[in-house]
Parts: sequence; structure tokens; C-alpha cells
Amino acid sequence: MKLRRTRLYIPGNNPHLVENAGLYNADAVILDLEDSVPITQKFDARILVKYSLQNVDFGRSEKWVRINGVDTPYWKKDLEEILPYCDVINLPKTESYDTLKLVDEEMSRIEKEHDLQPRKIVPIIETVAGLINAREIASHPRVIALAWGGEDLTADLGIPRKKALILDNVRAEIVFAAKAYKKQALDTVFSNVRDMDALFEYAQHARYMGFDGIGVIHPNQIEVVHRAFKPTDEEIEDAKRIIEAAREAEREGKAVISLNGRMIDPPVVERARKILAFAEVE
Amino acid sequence: MISAGTTEKGDVLVKIENSEKREIIVNSKLERLYGKAIRATVEEMTEGIDAKITVEDFGALDWVLRARLEAAIRKYGGEKE
Repeated sequence: MKLRRTRLYIPGNNPHLVENAGLYNADAVILDLEDSVPITQKFDARILVKYSLQNVDFGRSEKWVRINGVDTPYWKKDLEEILPYCDVINLPKTESYDTLKLVDEEMSRIEKEHDLQPRKIVPIIETVAGLINAREIASHPRVIALAWGGEDLTADLGIPRKKALILDNVRAEIVFAAKAYKKQALDTVFSNVRDMDALFEYAQHARYMGFDGIGVIHPNQIEVVHRAFKPTDEEIEDAKRIIEAAREAEREGKAVISLNGRMIDPPVVERARKILAFAEVE
Repeated sequence: MISAGTTEKGDVLVKIENSEKREIIVNSKLERLYGKAIRATVEEMTEGIDAKITVEDFGALDWVLRARLEAAIRKYGGEKE
């Protein structure tokens, strides 16, 4: 299982930040061509990101690019330049399956032209329409995870983000939609880069809501989030025992897995595998 | 005149303007260390362009210089957005 506990946003037109993005051990680095890049710098940023993907060592981090939305004149040009060199396309303001079909067609054309393996998409749900269609969106074969954006979504709902009472309902819908299709669910960013205790609490809340990771906007947030997503010693030991019981049942050709007299169902084994993956235990 | 890049740390600002003859101007705080390498990259990437090319370097790595040169050259050639 590929861990995506942290995805670090980096403004795509800042070479200094881009150059160092691989140093921090984030599970993914997102080179951003959208909100952090002013309109006058869209062209330059696209070329800079293309060169960085070919020249910068991003270490163990998966290479994502947040392109501009399909409602802008930029998204096709973004794909044309960067698709051959990145792992994942982060697609803002994904509102429907049709949005994905449009992007998928363009990606397929470029992949064919460059003889590339199909790239993945992580759509960002940022509107009420997108939320309503989240399940369909998650079903698209290119989609590996669903993310959501709090600022735009609360603006679309017409409520101030800090006072919004509906956000855990939104989170639940994102998690259900993603998990129904065995995709990962990714929570939005925590924007206070100084309060590490609050960040830890936020990330643990995300974990127990069913998310697989959150967005980060500062390298200092990465270690805290990884710690928050790390299972407890008790969870790890329990998971190890379950996996061992599953192996033993397999060795002995038993159809039913049991541990200390209780039956273990396949989803429980799956959850144990996930816990060990998050604990980074082989 | 068109330009690409910024004056931020680790970046480079490339300007290209019409001129009757080819001219390359490089300004860098790291002139003594990297001036020759910067000029070589600029010469290589702008070969055949008869224009005044000005490069203001703020400590950019070679890949950054190449990215900014490509952006500037393509914009000078008429590409937009």
C-alpha cells in the first residue's frame, strides 16, 4: 500500500522552494500551478515545473502536479508540458464524472503520443456539486484518492470556514465515496503552521474519520502528521497477531481464521495490513 | 521586450528585446564562480536568436536558468498564457 499521509504543497513558480521539496520526507510533493501562481506567471511556472520534474531529486516523495481547473485556459497546456514527467495529476474543482472524462481524454492523447504508462488523478472536491457527485468521481479508474478543499467548499456553501458546523459531514461523505471504491481519502490542509499540538489533534481526527492523510503547507508539519497517523503500540501488536493468524490459517489450508478463539473476517485482516503499513512495519 | 523568471533568491530574470545585433548581457553576484557556465548555457539555448538578451542571476541553478530561458524564448516567439 502506498502511504499518502502527507502531501506537501509547493508554489510552482518558486525555484528555491521547488529545489528543496524532496528533502522533507513527505509522502507526496505537489508542485502547484493553480492558486499559488499569479495569472501573469502561469506560463513561466509551467516550464519551471517541467524542468524541475526532470532535474530535482524529490527523494521518496511521489511527484504530483496540481494543474489549473478545466474552467481555465491553462489546464491543457499544463498537461502537455508536465504529464510525461509526473506521477499524479491533482485536479482542482472536480465537479463531475464528465470533468474527469474530459481530462482523461487529454491525458490519454498525450500518453499515447509519448508512449507513457497511464498517470493517476487525485481530484479535489471543492464545490457542493462536486460533493454531490463524489461517489461517481471516485469510481473513475484513474482516480487513486479523493481530496477536498475546505476554503472553496465553505465559500460555495456560503458559510465562514471557522464557524462551519457541516465540515465533518463533508469529511464523512468524502471518506464514504472514496472507500466505496477502495480509493484513499485525503483530508484538507491545516493552515496554522505554528501550532503543532493543534495540528497533531487535527491529523488524528482525520485519521479516525477514515482519512489516509492530510495536506501540508510547511515542511515542519510533516513529522507531526506522520506521528499522528502512526498506529499505537497496542494497535500494531494486535495487527501483527491477526496477520500471523491469517498466515497460519493459509499454511494449514484453513478457510476460517481464528485468534484466541474469535473468528477473524477478511476486512479485519485488511485493516491489520493497513495498520502495519501506516506503522511502516513489514 | 518580454521577460521570464523573477528576482527572488535562487531565480533568474531573463529579458529578450529586439535589437539589430545579437547581444548577451549577464549580471550575477556569483560572476566569478559561475559567470562562464551561465554564459555557456545562455549561448547554447539562444543560438540563432538575434536580439538583446539580458540575464539577471540571483543564484539560480542550471536547470532553473534553462527553464527561464525556454520560457523567455517561447514567449519571444509569440507563445502566450
